[in-house]
Amino acid sequence: MAMDSGIEQHLAAGRHARAFDLVVPAYKDRVFRLAYSILKERAAAEDAAQETFVRIWKALPGFDGRAALGTWIYAITRNTCLMELRRRRPTVSFDDPDSTEAQHAAASIASGPAADPERDNLLRLVDTLPRNQQEAVRLFYLEDRSYETVAEQLGMPLGTVKNLLHRARKRLMELARPDEVKAA
Amino acid sequence: MNDPTLIGPCADYEHDLVDLHDGTLTSDRARVVRRHLEACPRCRDWQAEFAILEARLAAELPRPELSPTFDAKLQQRLAALARPPVRNDLRAALVHEHDSLLDTLRRGARRRAVLSALGSAAVTLCVLAAARGLLAQGVGLLPSVAEGPERWLMLGIVGVAMAVATLGWSAGRSGVPRLGLLR
Repeated sequence: MAMDSGIEQHLAAGRHARAFDLVVPAYKDRVFRLAYSILKERAAAEDAAQETFVRIWKALPGFDGRAALGTWIYAITRNTCLMELRRRRPTVSFDDPDSTEAQHAAASIASGPAADPERDNLLRLVDTLPRNQQEAVRLFYLEDRSYETVAEQLGMPLGTVKNLLHRARKRLMELARPDEVKAA
Repeated sequence: MNDPTLIGPCADYEHDLVDLHDGTLTSDRARVVRRHLEACPRCRDWQAEFAILEARLAAELPRPELSPTFDAKLQQRLAALARPPVRNDLRAALVHEHDSLLDTLRRGARRRAVLSALGSAAVTLCVLAAARGLLAQGVGLLPSVAEGPERWLMLGIVGVAMAVATLGWSAGRSGVPRLGLLR
């Protein structure tokens, strides 16, 4: 990122406050979107983004440049979100799409009533995917379908992200098909 | 490869169909895949289905945005963190108050201990003096203790001892405000 070179110059010169002033506008939207893809709630994602920047502000003097600035910032974001997830009460996991719970949820989603059935069903189907696939799907469309950005933000190799997305979309197509087609 | 009872694309073309949709295939490979699509209804159906899903996901997944107050809230949080001297002063004041309270309690406990010791000594003296007077007169009562100065001396000792014991007991229970020996 071109902005990062300016930030890194300030950091190298020990001007951490000025570097931070550039970090916030350059990264706040991406940090928020990454947090949202993990936490699935706008308010929680915004809180996590706040917390992330407070941590960055505290840790910036210790940033040694061994990792790219973006990689470092996204790692802090993911850790902040994972701490928030751990803090929450444990809920039923849909990490295994073939689990009884996930199958049951998918079935009830396909048949359940909804105010906006089409849209609601699609969103709920996304929620039945394993967590890492959900995160990749949300982030991919939030980041205008950029595999590279998703890979950078999730800290995964590009091939892994492509594979996750491929499996996720294939699964969504299967779940969204009418029952008679599934049976065939 | 064209079995109509099967669902999904041909395995060899599955990833290529996604890459073709994403526009990331090389032109040579894209030509091959398009040629395959013309001949394979399964892959054509799958690709159409995939394109619909893509469009729906892009259109229907929520796209939340940061609230306009995000920057102001962040600045508030950072400003609070940037005021460590105020926090340190408050902490130092609390520590000082805590220490002085502990010191007062320790001094009070020392004074009570001294007064209790004095009281105990006085009671002991009182008992000893009474015992000595009684022994000097055999098993008789106090009025029959020896006559003259020895009797007055003994009664004086008993009186002083009782006064000190009372003072010690009283100070031990409730302090002696006039001497500044509050509990």
